[in-house]
Amino acid sequence: MTPTSIQQLQDLPAQIRAQWPHRPRFASVNGWRMHYVDEGHGSPVVLLHGNPTWGFLWRETMKPLLAAGHRVIVPDQVGFGLSEKPTREGAHSLDGHTANLTALMRQLDLQRITLVCHDWGGPTGLSFALANPHRVRALVIMSTWAWPLPPAEFHTRVFPWRLIHAPLLGPYLLGRHGVLVGRGIYLSVVDRERFRATAQAAYEAVLPDPATRLLTWVWPRWIPLDGTARAFDRFAWLEQGMSRSAWPTLLIWGREDEVFDPPTFAGRFQRMLPHAEGPHLVTGRHFLQEDSGAEIGALVRDFLSRLDARGA
Amino acid sequence: MSKVAIVRDPALTGKRRQPVLAEDRLLHYPEFRQFFARTFDLDRIGLAQPGYVSAPSGMVYVLMFVGRSGEPFPAGLEVHVMADALEPVDEQMVDRDLWAILGWMIAGVGPPWSVADLAETGRLYRLPVAQ
Repeated sequence: MTPTSIQQLQDLPAQIRAQWPHRPRFASVNGWRMHYVDEGHGSPVVLLHGNPTWGFLWRETMKPLLAAGHRVIVPDQVGFGLSEKPTREGAHSLDGHTANLTALMRQLDLQRITLVCHDWGGPTGLSFALANPHRVRALVIMSTWAWPLPPAEFHTRVFPWRLIHAPLLGPYLLGRHGVLVGRGIYLSVVDRERFRATAQAAYEAVLPDPATRLLTWVWPRWIPLDGTARAFDRFAWLEQGMSRSAWPTLLIWGREDEVFDPPTFAGRFQRMLPHAEGPHLVTGRHFLQEDSGAEIGALVRDFLSRLDARGA
Repeated sequence: MSKVAIVRDPALTGKRRQPVLAEDRLLHYPEFRQFFARTFDLDRIGLAQPGYVSAPSGMVYVLMFVGRSGEPFPAGLEVHVMADALEPVDEQMVDRDLWAILGWMIAGVGPPWSVADLAETGRLYRLPVAQ
């Protein structure tokens, strides 16, 4: 473990450390240092977070899965959590993050993976799945997207979305003031007071300085808004590939999610993947794990039990 | 969000340059790059000299334009405060000045970007400078 990571772990408030008792592990992936948790034995379940969270988001989701005898792997995407945080924008690309995940999955030689994707864990995780289909058993998809246009109507608005990551404004608002990791998550959970009391410090503590928050404004810049966007072709490939996929899939959505609202986004995944189960609606806005983490874990556990029962 | 003005030849003796904000991808929304190119005549002068602006505190900020092969110039931008050489900067003052400079930039970029939306964003996220 590097000194930076030791310091970040030690800086977490005791109340937060008590919620995250897992042994930190590190791998060199695609030229970066990635932190991950690897607990339990049995069939592997990989939990992939997005912006601006880290593995801590899955703390309650992990418990039913571990209790049911699964092996649970929780990476921190490079740029977040206890992973290395590159300081140049060019270090972060959609394809690069997929390559980071691919490197970890190959180093751990994971087979028959159940991939649980949230937010940017969707485009990165699903791209990994399409590029490495022999390693994947099933998918669980929540509050994300897999097509080029449009993202959410929210993402096309100048106020507040495009303003907060616009040139110079991103480094000021999301970097200098950390508004996404602070108030941004807070506004996107249902039980805000519980979140503030029990979890907010965990997200803020691992992104303590403006330079450490780079990915919080770079990820939004990778959302295609028109056909000239640099990730447009990758998302078009993702949509085509997912439309042809046959993996057993479970959709879980936050009932109160206003950004990736269930009718628009879960509905589109239903049309794309008619064999998918769900969507199961749980209490939650975009960061639904904060309100319904254990329930989500139980839904994934039961989904996998059904797959086991039919030998899938 | 006012009182930002371009300064042609600021007095720099006894000052040091301290970076306070950096943007790697000025062209993410092309109108932002175009604003700086237009305002500081960059298509003509290129990297020959930085831009200087004075902020509400009276401090001068230098805008260092960054080029990157294969990309329109300027590709990036660094904002530095010209501080007294041996004195620490007043962080809150710098923060207020940066907010004013950002408002000046948004006003210059123009629609659909607006200073009113910027102010509303500041209030939504409870920035001290926007209250």
